[in-house]
Amino acid sequence: MRAALAKASLVRHRARTVLAILGVAIASAMLLDMVMLATGMRESFRELLLTRGFQLRLAPKGTLPFDTDATIADVSGITATLRRNPDIREISPVLGGSIHVPIGGRDVSASVLGIDPSVQGDYELQSGRDVLEADAIVVNDRLLRALGRRIGDTIRVATGYDPQTRSYSGQRNLVITGTVRFLYGASDQSGSAVRRETLLQMNAQSPTRAGDRASLFMVRARQGADAEQVRGWIEAQLPNVSAISIATAIAQVDQRLSYFRQLAIILGAVSLFVGFLLVTTLVTVSVNERAGEIAVMRAIGVSRSHVVEQVVMEGLVISLVGALVGLALGLVTARYLNSILSAFPGLPMAIDFFLFQPKAAWSALGLVIASGIGAGVYPAFRAASLPISQTLRREAIA
Amino acid sequence: MLLALTLSFFLTQDSTVSDPRSSTETRTRTIAIDEVLAEQAHLRVGDRVTVSPTPDGLGDTVVVGAIVRRGADPSEVARGDLRVWMHLDQLQTLSNYGDRVDRFAIETKHGADVPGLIERINNVAFGFRAYRSRDIAVETSRTFQVVSRFHRAIGIITIVASSVFLLCIMVLKVEERRRDIAALRLMGISRWTVVRAIIAEAALIATLGSMLGIVLGWLISLLVNSHYQAVYRTPLAFSIVTPPIVIVAVALSLVLGITAGVAASLRLVRQPPLALFGR
Amino acid sequence: MNAPSPIISLRDVRRDYALGAEQVHALQGVSLDIDRSDYVAIVGPSGCGKSTLLNLIGVIDQPTAGTVTIDGRRVDSMSDREATQFRLRNIGFVFQRFYLMPILSAVENVALPMAEAGMSRGERVDRAAGLLSYVGLANRQRHRPSEMSGGEQQRVAIARALANSPALLLADEPTGELDAKTGAEIISLFQKLNADGTTLVVVTHDEDLASAARRKVHMRDGKVVDG
Repeated sequence: MRAALAKASLVRHRARTVLAILGVAIASAMLLDMVMLATGMRESFRELLLTRGFQLRLAPKGTLPFDTDATIADVSGITATLRRNPDIREISPVLGGSIHVPIGGRDVSASVLGIDPSVQGDYELQSGRDVLEADAIVVNDRLLRALGRRIGDTIRVATGYDPQTRSYSGQRNLVITGTVRFLYGASDQSGSAVRRETLLQMNAQSPTRAGDRASLFMVRARQGADAEQVRGWIEAQLPNVSAISIATAIAQVDQRLSYFRQLAIILGAVSLFVGFLLVTTLVTVSVNERAGEIAVMRAIGVSRSHVVEQVVMEGLVISLVGALVGLALGLVTARYLNSILSAFPGLPMAIDFFLFQPKAAWSALGLVIASGIGAGVYPAFRAASLPISQTLRREAIA
Repeated sequence: MLLALTLSFFLTQDSTVSDPRSSTETRTRTIAIDEVLAEQAHLRVGDRVTVSPTPDGLGDTVVVGAIVRRGADPSEVARGDLRVWMHLDQLQTLSNYGDRVDRFAIETKHGADVPGLIERINNVAFGFRAYRSRDIAVETSRTFQVVSRFHRAIGIITIVASSVFLLCIMVLKVEERRRDIAALRLMGISRWTVVRAIIAEAALIATLGSMLGIVLGWLISLLVNSHYQAVYRTPLAFSIVTPPIVIVAVALSLVLGITAGVAASLRLVRQPPLALFGR
Repeated sequence: MNAPSPIISLRDVRRDYALGAEQVHALQGVSLDIDRSDYVAIVGPSGCGKSTLLNLIGVIDQPTAGTVTIDGRRVDSMSDREATQFRLRNIGFVFQRFYLMPILSAVENVALPMAEAGMSRGERVDRAAGLLSYVGLANRQRHRPSEMSGGEQQRVAIARALANSPALLLADEPTGELDAKTGAEIISLFQKLNADGTTLVVVTHDEDLASAARRKVHMRDGKVVDG
C-alpha cells in the first residue's frame, strides 16, 4: 500500500516528477563523469604502462622517458650490468630520434624508434612483417599515407637534415616491411621503427648522436620479484640513470595533471549536493502540500514510520530512475569530454581521461541514491511528526 | 642534462671562455639559475657548480651569478623543468653545438613594419624562417587551447544543468503557492498580474543570487590563483574575473531565472482557480 | 449486578494551548461518561471546545490535565506509537472535510487502515468492498474521490472509519459540507450504525443530526453545561 501511495503521488504531478528526475539525472551524470575523470587518467596510464608487462623504465638521470633529447651511453655495458640481477627477466633498449624522407620535392619527417624486435614493447604489428632485417622499417598508418607508399616499397631515409644547406645525413635505403600501431604514440604523430643497430649506424656521422646509445630502457622483472627492490638495485648500480617504476610514473603524471583530479572532486561534490537539494526541495514541497492528508493518515492509525517510509520511497524512486538515466547521459558526455582532452599534444592515443570503471561508477550512483533517500527522510519525519489536531485545524482553515 | 638557452637575459660578463679540455683556466664564468632550481639544490649567488651536458660530471665549473624569478609563462606550468642561463658561446662549446643557435628573438623598433620585415627575411632566408612571436605562441599553446575547450564544455554543461535545476525548483516553489494564486485569481486579479509578480520575484532572486555568485566566484578565483601559483611556482594568473564575464553571468542568470519563473507560473495560471484548490 | 462500565470516561480534563501570545483554555475541567452502544451528540457554540473534546477522545491530542479512559484503557498519557496503534484498532474517525486520499479509489481508501493493521490484500479488498456495500456504494468502488459527490465521499469516509471494526466511531461535523438532503442520508446511516451496535460520538452544529442522537451533551466555554 505504501508503494502504491508513493507511486500514485509521483504520478499525480507528472511534470514535477519528470523535471525532478531530469535534474537528478543531470547531477548523476556529472558526478559519474567526475568520478571517471578523477581516476581515469591514472588507471588508463597504468594499463598502458603494463600492456607489455615492463614494470620499470630507465631514463637519463633526472628526466622522464622521452621528456628531453638526452640519451644514455654505453648500452651494452648497461645491459650487461642489468643482466647480473637474477630478478631481471627482459631488457629492451629503445633509441628515439627523427627521420626525414625526401619525397617528390618535399620533406616528410617522422619520429623513429630504434628497437630490438624480439623484446620491444612499443608497438603492435598490424600488417606485414616486423623489422627482422637491418634494412627494414615499420611505419604507422599516418606516416604510410604521408609517404604515399605501400608495404614492400623502398624509401630513402635520413636521420639528419640541415635546413640551411638543405642536405641530409645518415641516409640509408630501407624497405617498408609492415604497419604498426604505436602504443605510446599520439594521434597526430607520424611514427616509424627500425632495429636499434640500424639507427645507430645511421647516427654514426652525427657528433651529438653517435655511439652506443639509448633514450630509454624498458625492464621486465621476473614473476614474483619486487619491482621496487629491483628499481633500487638499478639506481645503486647505475648512477647515471633514473629508474622509474609504474608507481613513480603514475605519481609524476598525477602531479602534472592534479588539476583535473581536483576539478573532478569539486564538481563531483557540487553535483551530489545539488542533486540532494533537488530531492529535498521536491519532498518538502510534496509533504507540505499534503500536510492534511498526512495528518489524516496519522489520525486513522498509520504509524509515523510508515508515513516516513512512503514519503522516502518517493525520493528513492526519483533518485533511482534519475541515477539510471544519468548513467546513460554520463557515458555520452564523458565520451564527448574525452574527445576534447584527447587532443592534448603528445598524448598517447591509448590514454583516456574518462575511464569507466564499474566499481567506481556503481559507487557514485549508489551515493546519488543514498543521498536521495537521505534527502527525503528529514522532511518526511517532520511532516509525520506534526501535531495531528493542529494540522487538521490549520488545513480546515486553509 | 640539456640546458635551455635564452638571449633575453644579460649577465655581467666575466673572464674569457674556459675550455673544459684545457688545463689552464682564468676567472670562472657565471650562470643564472631559476628560483626553483636554487631552492631544490640549495644554491645561492656565489656558489660554484659544474655544468655538463651529460650526467658523468665532466664539464665547466661556473659560479651562480644570479637567481631568476619565473615569468608568467603558461608553457612552464605543470612541467618540472629547471632552467639555467649561460653565455651563448660557453653553451655552444660545452654541448658541442658549434656556432649554432635554435632561434633568434628579434625586437623591432616601435612602429616598424613587422609583416614586411618577416617577408624580407623569409625571401632571403637560407635554412630558417621568421615568424611573429604571437603566431608561435598560438601554435605552442595547443595544450591551453585544449584546456580552454574543456573548460568551455564544462561551462556549457553547467549552464544546461543549472537551467534544469532552476526550472525544477521554480516549478516546485511556485506550486507550493497554488492556493495563494487561486485565491488571487478568485478575487479577480488577472493572470498577467500574477505572472508579472512572479517574474518580478524571480528577477529579484536571480539578481541577488547572481551577485552573491559573483562575489563567491571572485573569492574562489582568488583562492584558485593563490593555490596554483604556489603549487606551480608561477606568477601566472589561472583564473580571472573580468567585467564582461560578470555581465554575461548576470545576464544569463536573469534570463534563466525569469524564464523558469514564467514557465512555472504559466503552468498554474492556465488552470481554473478552483482546480488549484483541488476541487 | 453491576452496571457495565462506560466505554468512554473523562475525569476533570483540561486542555490549554498557546495561540500567539495568548493562552487558550479550550477545556476547563470536563468530566463525562459515555456508555457502550450509545449515540451522543456534543453541541455548543463555535469555540466552546467541542472539537477539542472529540480530539482527546479520539487520542489524536492529549489533555493538559485529567484522565481519559477508553474501553478500560488510560489513553491520556500514551506514547505516540501506542496512541497510533490504539486509534488504528479501536477508533474510527470521520471528518467534516472527508479527507480521503485523492490518489486512491474508494475501495483503496477504505482498505488503507486495514493494510496498516497487517490484513492480507485479498482479505482487505473483500472487506472494503463489503463496507462500501454497507454504506450503499457498492457500484462506486473504483471511483476516485474527485469523481464522487460530497455525500458519497462522506460515506466512503465512514466506511474507512469502520475498516478495523472499531469500538468507537467519532465524527466531527460530518454533515458540515453537505446539503440537507445528503446530510439526511448520513444521519440515516449513523442511526443504522448505532442500531448495529456501534458507539457513536458526533460533534455538530446540525440540529437534525443532534436530534437523531440518543443523548445531547451541551458545552459552553470549555465546560459541559448539560447532558
